[in-house]
Amino acid sequence: MANLLPVVVLLPLVGAILTSLTTHLGPRRLTPLISTVTTALVLAAGCAVAFQVGSSGPLMLVLGGWETPVAIALMSDGFSAAMLLMTAGVGLVVCVFASATPEITGGYWFWPLWLFLLAGLNAVYVSADLFNTYVALELLTVAAVALVALGGRAALLPALRYLLIAVLGSLLFLLGVALVYAETGTLATFGAAEETTGGLVLLVALGVMTLGLAIKVALFPLHSWLPPAHAGAPAAVSPLMSALVIKAAFFVLARMWINLSQGSAPTELAYVLGAVGSVAALWGAALALRQSKLKRVVAYSTVAQVGYFFLLFPLVIAGDGAASALAWEGALVFLFAHGLAKAAMFMAAGSFAHAHGTDELEQLRGAAARMPVASMSMAIAGVSLAGLPPTLAFVGKWQLLHASIESGQWWWIPVLLIGGLLTFAYTARVLRILLDTEDADDQQAKVEQGKFTTVRTDYHPIPQRMQYPALLLAVLTIVLGLRSIDLTELLQAGAAMGGL
Amino acid sequence: MIDVFDVLLGVAVLLGAAAALYGSRRIVGVMSFLVLGLLLTVLWARLGAPDIAIAEAAIASGVTGAFLLAAATDHPETSHEEGNVGRRTLMVLEAAIGVSAVTLVGVAAVSAARIAPADPLEVQASAAVADAVVDHPITAVLLDFRAYDTLLEIAVLAAAVVAALALLCDSRLTRVAWVTETRPVVLGFVRLIAPVVVMLAGWLLVAGSTRPGGAFQAGAMLTGVFLLLYLSGRARSMVTGKWLVPAALIGLAVFVAAGVGTFAAGREWLDVADGWGGVVVLLIEAALTVSIGAGLAALFIAGNPERA
Amino acid sequence: MSRAELFIIVGVALFVFGAARMLLTGDLIRRVVALNVAGAGVFLILMSLATVRDASEPDPVLHALVLTGIVITVSITGFALALIRRIERTEIVRSGPRESDG
Repeated sequence: MANLLPVVVLLPLVGAILTSLTTHLGPRRLTPLISTVTTALVLAAGCAVAFQVGSSGPLMLVLGGWETPVAIALMSDGFSAAMLLMTAGVGLVVCVFASATPEITGGYWFWPLWLFLLAGLNAVYVSADLFNTYVALELLTVAAVALVALGGRAALLPALRYLLIAVLGSLLFLLGVALVYAETGTLATFGAAEETTGGLVLLVALGVMTLGLAIKVALFPLHSWLPPAHAGAPAAVSPLMSALVIKAAFFVLARMWINLSQGSAPTELAYVLGAVGSVAALWGAALALRQSKLKRVVAYSTVAQVGYFFLLFPLVIAGDGAASALAWEGALVFLFAHGLAKAAMFMAAGSFAHAHGTDELEQLRGAAARMPVASMSMAIAGVSLAGLPPTLAFVGKWQLLHASIESGQWWWIPVLLIGGLLTFAYTARVLRILLDTEDADDQQAKVEQGKFTTVRTDYHPIPQRMQYPALLLAVLTIVLGLRSIDLTELLQAGAAMGGL
Repeated sequence: MIDVFDVLLGVAVLLGAAAALYGSRRIVGVMSFLVLGLLLTVLWARLGAPDIAIAEAAIASGVTGAFLLAAATDHPETSHEEGNVGRRTLMVLEAAIGVSAVTLVGVAAVSAARIAPADPLEVQASAAVADAVVDHPITAVLLDFRAYDTLLEIAVLAAAVVAALALLCDSRLTRVAWVTETRPVVLGFVRLIAPVVVMLAGWLLVAGSTRPGGAFQAGAMLTGVFLLLYLSGRARSMVTGKWLVPAALIGLAVFVAAGVGTFAAGREWLDVADGWGGVVVLLIEAALTVSIGAGLAALFIAGNPERA
Repeated sequence: MSRAELFIIVGVALFVFGAARMLLTGDLIRRVVALNVAGAGVFLILMSLATVRDASEPDPVLHALVLTGIVITVSITGFALALIRRIERTEIVRSGPRESDG
């Protein structure tokens, strides 16, 4: 079964080659079909990996007929299997959404680029080699930036800024890899973890890796590249960016900390990360409340949610056994929930923008009457993200709260609670505007007074295929909340290798 | 141990970098970066790495230089630097943070270098070269031990080419503005030099299995040929035709096929050892050369303006 | 201090100041140059580390990693410059041709 691990990387690459050729040489109509089918097959492979990991523990495969450390090993534990599932699952739903009309993908090149992105993401999740992780990160960066650039002229500069900052992040990571290699004499992720002795070298190596990956995750105050890039991307790209691309860098960050710093964890640095994460959670939410464009609200919401992910570090590193395990599960469940909910929100936001030709909130006043499905998706996803029971995010946050109490780090509790309230506040603000049908006349009057620069006249109904994918993911955040035990079992089953 | 030449080289590299980073104008920065590339080529040779020296000269310095020069001469300068007062404070801050960061990371890196790991990969890899399908250690690492890295690396190039094409209005290079060169001296030079460079690239490719050289260096030389043809206005259909994307993808395609093929033949994924392994590696390398050559050329041409 | 250690320090300096310039300068092409200088710094560190154990027979693994890194960097640089050239043409179309006063 370990032979499935190369499949999740090579299969999307085959699809990427085929779709590049059909896009370049024709027939173009085959491109979305091949891409969607490939994604479905990758999802099937991901399910098989997750099933295997859940039933008999982590999978490991050394490539090329050599042994580690000479060769590169692939590995999937519970954490990795969960990410493989989420990536292909969200990806497939977005593929269905994107196939509704070429206008929301920014052209046919979306399809090969998505498959390159999928290959890069999966390569990150199954890699058990430090340098290989760097190469995989670069692959996903190039694909992600190219997808953002499909958003047209206005998206080019945000795409370039994203590229430059993300590549700098990769170089910082590579610098850390160089230090670890010099110290341990191996590139195998788990081998290096066993050899490292801690001290200054490890502290600096972990420090530069953390800085580089924090840039890629858009941790406050390194977040300014994210909102223009995520909001400027085409409607079908934003959900991929926010739900999937951010997670890959966080995955590597969590893996480095949990493995490399085993036993000799720099606790102070973990607290710093937690504190910065708290500020990010509150600051991002406050900015989300002040945005005048719908996609910007969702993008700043990502900046805020990323902050919560970082509570993982102080709770896991500084907490004792039980609290540490709780925090680990809680943060990962929350990561998963964020992926589903944020993809749903961006798809709904993209639908509104596509139907109205703009995502200015003022122009979307009363849009719920015209687009009930998209509004409902937005509402469910927002409520889920705020962490209300019985959603998946609730389970995650509950475990994080529990872990805070268990480990005596009570000061994270207000952050979690206030952050949840703020999430609820910006969701409610958006919904109020969408549901506001009362003052249609008033709006007309305002338009006549010249208060709006442009009058929206071009509302057109959107295809069915664009409406239900968002709802499906939003509903999944509730259904999985009721079945969260399966997810935590998967995480536990594969945890043997993660050091926890 | 350390001699005057090393110190001078180190200082020269630092000065070259400083000029590239702080040059007063765009073009000065770009030209200084090219000088830095030349200095690094010397430095790699000094560190006993002829492979990297050739790659630096051909890829990092040559092709990147062509990219940068084309972009810098498009528009001499666009942004205007900030006001003087803010700028000076910022420069002092930059210098202070920079020096402390260099000290911290430098101390860590030097102390890391002084640790001697018990059973380093370096020794194990060198020992394993005897059993590899090629004799040259670096080629053995790139295409045998860590072939998966190289596969993903060529995927990065393929993704970059697709990304650059997606920026164009019609996603083709056919509408990119075409240079028309009429000077007979230039045309004669191109006619003379192009076959020589192609032959040199072929030699580098084949030589790579036993001595310095290989697909990467050969690919960069091929890019040079493509760019010469493009800049001299010749062989238009060859450079911008339909086959450019297939050419940029063939390295990845052959590599993936080799990975799947070895598994289908009952071996491990990407296990190319024994008998036919050397042929497979040469085949992969040839495909990589074509892809690197065509891919980097496509990236260069895709940046040019399009005709309306 | 050995030769490797000297060049490690030079590499760190290239990386740090390249990274700082990349973040602080406004001009897009200079940012790409700065990123390439930072990349060269990391490669220089890797190349110096390769000579630590035995300067006459450097570590082939690190050399291979640097070659991989160089190809990745040039691919990304090519894509970044294609983006920049497009952005600057758009700017010029939008604001009309203007002379540089640099």
